[in-house]
Amino acid sequence: MGYSTLLFLHVLGAFTLIAGVGLFLAILLAVRRQPDTLVAQRMLPTARVLWAVGGLSALVFGIWLAIHVSQYSLTDGWILGAIVLWVIASAIGGRISAGYKNLADGSLAQSEALVMHGLLVLSVLLLLLDMIYKPGAG
Amino acid sequence: MMVLAIRPDSWNFPLLLHVGGAMLLVASITVAIVAFVQSWREADPDSSARLFRFGALTMFFAALPSFIVMRGAAQWIVSKEHLENSNVSWIGIGFGTSDLSGLILIITLILTGIALRRSRRGGGLGKLAKVGGALPLLLMVLYLVAIWAMTTKPS
Repeated sequence: MGYSTLLFLHVLGAFTLIAGVGLFLAILLAVRRQPDTLVAQRMLPTARVLWAVGGLSALVFGIWLAIHVSQYSLTDGWILGAIVLWVIASAIGGRISAGYKNLADGSLAQSEALVMHGLLVLSVLLLLLDMIYKPGAG
Repeated sequence: MMVLAIRPDSWNFPLLLHVGGAMLLVASITVAIVAFVQSWREADPDSSARLFRFGALTMFFAALPSFIVMRGAAQWIVSKEHLENSNVSWIGIGFGTSDLSGLILIITLILTGIALRRSRRGGGLGKLAKVGGALPLLLMVLYLVAIWAMTTKPS
């Protein structure tokens, strides 16, 4: 696979991951604003799929790109940083997803959910900053 | 093996705004699409209206501001790179999809806004809601083309 195709698939994965984050935030907003959880329940399956597919493809094609491009190395600080941030974001996303398991009975811990969503947004924002600024590269 | 040119640091911030705005735009439209599709599938009119309202408000409060950030930053980075008069096709595709999607976004906001008002008056969602709710699917196709053009940069 060529550089352009790999970059397209990597960026597409990142957009899909952010769409998953958007759905998680929409679910949180719906749960906090409405007495019942209809909107949240309808969005949760898509959020889980987009989060998993986007996260995995962004990582796989990102590592593939790092190997493919001669100027990059998997041991570059900004690439290692991105992998660490990805692991952190994945752990937070997994916890959020598990937290919504009992959505129907209204047992969601809202204060913890708010903190977790804040951390998720922060970790993906740091990932984007790392990808654009590439600290230490070139 | 591939060798890349490193871009100047001064391009990074407008690029961050452009890519970040585009990501928020696609995320907002995804949320709206899920809400609209679930609204169509819902048998109960009250539940259907609630899902439609969520989608319409997402388009207005999230997709519209994200579009403005993405489009404004696109203009900024093009001027930084002195590509205003460039004829390369990926820039043409980018501006073409962006301008067309801006128009479709405005039409979506108008149609879903009217449908929402009718629904609040007890008139049901109607055909306007179906058309307005379907347009974000078209937006998503245009943004997929734009992402492809921006990353593969066809000459």
